[in-house]
Amino acid sequence: MSISDATVAVSEELAARDDMIVCRGVDKWFGDFQALSGITATIKEQEIVVVLGPSGSGKSTWIRCINRLEAHQSGQIIVDGIELTNDLRNIEKIRSEVGMVFQQFNLFPHLTVIDNITLAPIWVRRKSRPEAEEQALSLLERVGIPEQAQKFPGQLSGGQQQRVAIARALAMEPRVMLFDEPTSALDPEMIKEVLDVMEELARSGMTMMVVTHEMGFAREVADRIIFMEEGEIVEVGTPHHFFTEPAEERTKLFLSQVL
Amino acid sequence: MSNEGAAGDVASLSTLGTRPPFYRDATVVKWLSQVVGLILVLLGLFFLASQAQNNLEARDIATGYDFLGTALGSDLGSGIDTDPDTSGRALWVGMVNTIRLAIAGIALATLLGVLVGVGRLSRNWIVSRTSSVFVETLRNIPLLVQIILIFVVIASLPRVETDQGPIHGWLHISNTGVSIPRVTIGDGFYQWIIFVIVGAALGWQVMRRQERRHDLTGQQTYPWLSLTGVVAVFAAVGWFAHPALGWVGAIFDAIASGVDALTPGIVQLVISLLAIAAAVQWIRRFLASHRTPAGLTKLIDDDYFRIIFAAASAVLVILFVTLGWPGLSSWIINSGRDLFEVIADKFGDGRTGVPITAYRPDIEQLGNFPNYGPAGLNLIQALAAVYFGVVLYTAAFIAEVVRGGILAVPKGQSEAAQALGLRRTTMLRRVILPQAFRVILPPLGNQYLNLTKNTSLAIAIGYSDVVQVGQTVYNQTGKTLEVVSIWMLFYLACSLTISVVVNFFNVRMRIVER
Repeated sequence: MSISDATVAVSEELAARDDMIVCRGVDKWFGDFQALSGITATIKEQEIVVVLGPSGSGKSTWIRCINRLEAHQSGQIIVDGIELTNDLRNIEKIRSEVGMVFQQFNLFPHLTVIDNITLAPIWVRRKSRPEAEEQALSLLERVGIPEQAQKFPGQLSGGQQQRVAIARALAMEPRVMLFDEPTSALDPEMIKEVLDVMEELARSGMTMMVVTHEMGFAREVADRIIFMEEGEIVEVGTPHHFFTEPAEERTKLFLSQVL
Repeated sequence: MSNEGAAGDVASLSTLGTRPPFYRDATVVKWLSQVVGLILVLLGLFFLASQAQNNLEARDIATGYDFLGTALGSDLGSGIDTDPDTSGRALWVGMVNTIRLAIAGIALATLLGVLVGVGRLSRNWIVSRTSSVFVETLRNIPLLVQIILIFVVIASLPRVETDQGPIHGWLHISNTGVSIPRVTIGDGFYQWIIFVIVGAALGWQVMRRQERRHDLTGQQTYPWLSLTGVVAVFAAVGWFAHPALGWVGAIFDAIASGVDALTPGIVQLVISLLAIAAAVQWIRRFLASHRTPAGLTKLIDDDYFRIIFAAASAVLVILFVTLGWPGLSSWIINSGRDLFEVIADKFGDGRTGVPITAYRPDIEQLGNFPNYGPAGLNLIQALAAVYFGVVLYTAAFIAEVVRGGILAVPKGQSEAAQALGLRRTTMLRRVILPQAFRVILPPLGNQYLNLTKNTSLAIAIGYSDVVQVGQTVYNQTGKTLEVVSIWMLFYLACSLTISVVVNFFNVRMRIVER
């Protein structure tokens, strides 16, 4: 069921683009508990996909499988033409092409903001420090906090920390950005500053996959919405379709609870 | 910006209105209570000391440390000098034994503890199980029992045989302990070490240069490899070229006679000037830190107290060196001269032999049974028992400290590092270990202190550490209180040294929170 849905929902204009992330029948168990069952979906280049669903539905697990923070047990995950297998070289390649932003920011507390951002460019991309710092400063400019470069993460507000985390991920010049509930740990007044940065990023043509509970963001920014429950993809569609005429009973029930 | 804020606060504080009476003035009370407390403690100590002196005199017990110079009627089991002339020398040998035990123990216990601690976290089932068993066994049995157990186990090993041991006689293990090659300092050692030091300084520069180049260009460089290489080259060249430095001794001789030419008055003058300079410097720095672009901020009472305290300290130091203990100056001159004479002697003429020699352990038969000869470094039974006892015991605790430190780094940190594509080694080195180290350091320092103090259990099996030697000394001289005071000062000095070193790293590793 979910297979056909995922394919049908892609608009013609999108369908013409290259595939960025392809999942075919992905399964994932934690012990006896099946967290993902038969996830099949394709995310196109420059597409913004928002994944919705009740907690425990496997949204985060799926997004974490895409850069191998969790290993899937069967099925295929292909990112930008590279298949995610046990091959360490593939994992390394995919990770340096996929940026990730976490709910808890996960900045490195012992490094300054600028060192947080330049760490990976210096040690993975082998850039020179001046070059990496120049890039880091322009990224901080982009996320709106260039004056915080020399501070430590503990000295920043939650919203500022999450923007640094986005800049840190962007410093690797990824082709895809994954967001795992980026605003869930933030105070309400800081959510907007992070969502603004994400919107700007979306407009700039980045391929994005966002797990969130921000319905407003999903409605405004997403090209497609994927609704999950109990480890399965229940429904896929444009925001208009999803919020106005959902097909599945489970989707209707979810929307009646959150809206 | 924050400076201005602070200045504003100070200004508003001082315009708060009328002054309270001095006994309700927070600043005055704070300083007065500290000065009074200090005086009370000093008086209390003085009272206790004189009381003890009086009591001992009343009971006709002679006090004083003169016994340190008297002859000791017995030999020591092991040490740098097994037949010391005096009690003082014997205690010194004991201290050296304890220090050697502590340093070697800390090194091995740290290595073993880190391996086992990381091992407990390993995904390899056998490694993690073995590590768990190691920790749970060793930390749940009293150290004294373990030391005696090792002692007994060594005693049950085969006897020393006259034929060659393993590795062509370079290693012997028997019921008398372990004998390994002895590495000794030869005649040319000190000239050679100059080459090594120069090499290390130069290598350090090369290493920094390489690190800078990596920073600037992103090129792969090998800073540690270069450092090792430069030091190795200098050590190799120095091995043959060191006789060229025979003249170094003369320089130290000149310094020694220069120090000897000083009079106590000059030393007192220098110390006094240093004290004044330090106080002036401190006050100037203090005032500078209170200076804003708008001019000097208004000083509050607390600041005046600090300035007065700094000046008073300088005056006290001057009074102490000139009037309180005039002998100190001549003592400084004498020990300074002796120090440089000893160094000059190390570089003395004709010292051009091989810097370092390794001797193969030998076995000699003087009486009925063969035993280890003086050529090897003999880890005798008692030493081996107490050494491996404290090492294994402390390693178990260090393992737990290390494991706890690594687990204390949130999982999100390694996930973030992985998501950025960092390799495992880079992640450990740049992200995980710096954070784990900060958690590990304080309890690790405690374990080092424990290890050092636990070496005193050597008395149970008769290894001549400072406690065992001290016991011998007071049994012969009856100077119990004096020996105990020496023990206390010695262990205090060791513990404070360890604390200072650990705290130094602790401060450097601290994370800025806000």
